[in-house]
Amino acid sequence: MNAHTVMDYKKLVSVAKNVDEKFNAFNAINENLSGGRPISVKDNICVSGLECTASSRVLRGYIPPFDATVVEKLKNKGFSVLGKTNMDEFGFGSFGLNTEKQTKNPFNPEYCAGGSSAGSAIATASIKDHISIAESTGGSISAPAAFCGVVGFTPTYGTVSRFGLIDYANSLDKIGVMSRTSRDIREVFGIIRGGDERDTTSTDREVKDEPKRAVTVVDNLLDLVDGEVKEHFQDLLGKLMNAGFKVNHTKIEGIEYAVPVYYIISMAEASTNLAKYQGFKYGKGAVDYGTDYNTFFKRARASFGAEAKRRIILGTFIRSASVKSRYYEKALRIRANLIKKLKVALKSGYLLSPTMPIKTPRIDEIERLSPAKIYAMDVLTVLPNLAGLPHMSFPYAYPEDMPIGAQIVGDHFDDYSVMSFVDEWEKSFKYKFKYSMG
Amino acid sequence: MKIGLEVHVALPTKTKLFCSDSTSYSDEPNTNICPVCMGFPGSKPVLNKETLILSANIATALHCRVIERTSFVRKVYFYPDLPKGYQITQTEGAIGNGGSVAISGKEVRIRRVQIEEDPAKVVRGENYTLLDFNRSGIPLNEIVTEPDICSESELKEFLVELRSILYYQGIDIDREIKTDLNISLAEERVEVKNITGVDSLLKAARYEILRQGSLLEENQPVKRETRAFDEKSGVTVSSREKETEEEYGFIFDTDLTFYDTKWIEVKKPVIPRLVAEKYSKKYGYDEEKLREAIYLNRDNMDMLAYVDDGAAIEKVVNLMQKLRSKPTKEVIRRLLNSDINNLSREQLERWVRGEFDEPEPVNMDEVRREVAELLRSDPSLSKRYKENKNTVNFIIGKVKKKHNVSYNDIVGIVDSILSDNQV
Ligand SMILES: [Zn+2]
Repeated sequence: MNAHTVMDYKKLVSVAKNVDEKFNAFNAINENLSGGRPISVKDNICVSGLECTASSRVLRGYIPPFDATVVEKLKNKGFSVLGKTNMDEFGFGSFGLNTEKQTKNPFNPEYCAGGSSAGSAIATASIKDHISIAESTGGSISAPAAFCGVVGFTPTYGTVSRFGLIDYANSLDKIGVMSRTSRDIREVFGIIRGGDERDTTSTDREVKDEPKRAVTVVDNLLDLVDGEVKEHFQDLLGKLMNAGFKVNHTKIEGIEYAVPVYYIISMAEASTNLAKYQGFKYGKGAVDYGTDYNTFFKRARASFGAEAKRRIILGTFIRSASVKSRYYEKALRIRANLIKKLKVALKSGYLLSPTMPIKTPRIDEIERLSPAKIYAMDVLTVLPNLAGLPHMSFPYAYPEDMPIGAQIVGDHFDDYSVMSFVDEWEKSFKYKFKYSMG
Repeated sequence: MKIGLEVHVALPTKTKLFCSDSTSYSDEPNTNICPVCMGFPGSKPVLNKETLILSANIATALHCRVIERTSFVRKVYFYPDLPKGYQITQTEGAIGNGGSVAISGKEVRIRRVQIEEDPAKVVRGENYTLLDFNRSGIPLNEIVTEPDICSESELKEFLVELRSILYYQGIDIDREIKTDLNISLAEERVEVKNITGVDSLLKAARYEILRQGSLLEENQPVKRETRAFDEKSGVTVSSREKETEEEYGFIFDTDLTFYDTKWIEVKKPVIPRLVAEKYSKKYGYDEEKLREAIYLNRDNMDMLAYVDDGAAIEKVVNLMQKLRSKPTKEVIRRLLNSDINNLSREQLERWVRGEFDEPEPVNMDEVRREVAELLRSDPSLSKRYKENKNTVNFIIGKVKKKHNVSYNDIVGIVDSILSDNQV
């Protein structure tokens, strides 16, 4: 590790501010940064003493009295937090637009950065050697990593403690890492992973590094991909075959349910997680304590953004007794079924697909789309997320000077095996960055 | 008439259900709190496993089946005492299911025993409301009955039985018991929510019986509604909530997992009603008197089991009524050998403390009779004694319950009996 001088930190803080001015990458920047190896942290992960809002007005002013387990572990290994990165409110979004400070793509600010871990991807793409702690529920690491041209890793569910993470959907949330190389991810994952007695769903199970020489393409998934993206992806498959990889093809029945199943489960869980925001004990409160409870709650909860309100309403409906068996319970069964099928497909190697079905879209294009159309963009990322499988998005082409990403998926606890694939990819492919500040 | 109850009792644990804060809620308000029981964003619940052990025992004492894998759900509603906006509780995955409590001539079925967290305490003032989160997250068992209770006297009896069963599970009955009362004299069910204490519960039930009864008498409909009990005036009042089916939107709490219960060693539960019945039959003694003595008194229960002597039962019950603290076994024996009716209150208490005025007289004739009987009933004893004098310890064990005899006393008696027999 380099010895950092005092000047380095001042410069780094000003770089972060610059990146923020250009692309709205940060919700908070640690101006007092004066030591340690800098890392940024998505703003839904608690850092003691730093405001944590998950980009929500309802949480404005919330200063957690504790560090998330991942932050604690990183601090113990000499890391220090440069800033809290911007995101779609509570993780609700795939394009980085559901936040008061809409994020922009560092390759071209008229384009989307991707979401929800938008700020983490922007910071990583703009700051030299930067590493960011991100989080994915249904694709929130892969999507912005692909659009901003960085490597984004989402681990096996449970390998990284969620203690200190502001919940979106507890059965789906995973803290992961973004960086400019797979090597950095391996190092940081090695630090943050492991069971935690403060998170019941975390586990100490061993993580394997058994690289595979075969990738499987799910053809009926690829059918849902935009023509141009598909062409580039075929080139990637060609390169892999030349490098000695076997490429298998398969079909998985029922993948068309993945997006609705993901939204049903995540909205149901989210609508309960958001019930705690009442303006009483932290965050933005209703000013007038003299009203009755209902009025008080209504005022405090009015500060949720539109997408958060939509998910609370839909999630509450999904949980209601009259329809629960039709949506929520059915979704749980389909989820279990999809996991089984994915694990069968993974027997013959990694799964590989483009990360997003479209090229990086313009911000105004996305703003014109209906929520359902926007949700459909998650079709490729929700599968490994629903199944809690480790996956990684890596850049593989730069058509018209914009990066596109592919997503490699491994079996449960094959996290290091997934990194090994990208390690090998990076030996023959050099990533491009428009900025390398710092 | 149909009455069903949802009874909430606090479990006697040192720490809360999902965090390590103390359960002592008499402390300074809002001192036993942390990010978990305050519902701070980023905090996660971690189950206190001791609650599984306690609840499995309670469920068993209520004749419930203990589920093999228990799980938790979120019950979502908005109220200022609920820091997360949902309560972590149990439904289908409840620890205990399908039990019963016996009362005179029938059984009141127990639908479920579920583990859940207590909300914060609400303190209402003239024009303000205060919240004490010391209580937030205290582990509770909610005991849900079927609507099998059909009269006020059955309700009373059920509560007496339930209290005594819980007493023997270590549930501090002085702590508040909170109950939701479902009561219907006609078709429509009226729920009286959040009644604190047993007395208030009985008052609320009595009031509802009168209120619904008079409505029916006047041919007026009884509305399906939620009511609250006002302790001061002793009446129930409509809560003016919307009269629709409650909608809590339960879902599985995925911060938690399934918890195996097979490792839990459930102790054979003490059902005081059955104990009283047993001794009453055994000795032909008044069951009601036995109940009174043992229902909420472990010392008395221990004494009854220790003495287990039909001839002394009257005296034991008499003692139970007189004693205020638990005597040692030696004291019990000595008391039973004395004329306790002639002891002054003060003297009795000194005895219980082990302060005797004079050495205990031993009735050697009776000891000799009992030892002779023992030797006769087990001929191998004499043989073993001849080989090893320490066999005396076994004999002492047998007669010690009633007589304060020493090793040498018994050796003398056994030697004398054996030599008599040889003559
Ligand atoms: Zn606590």
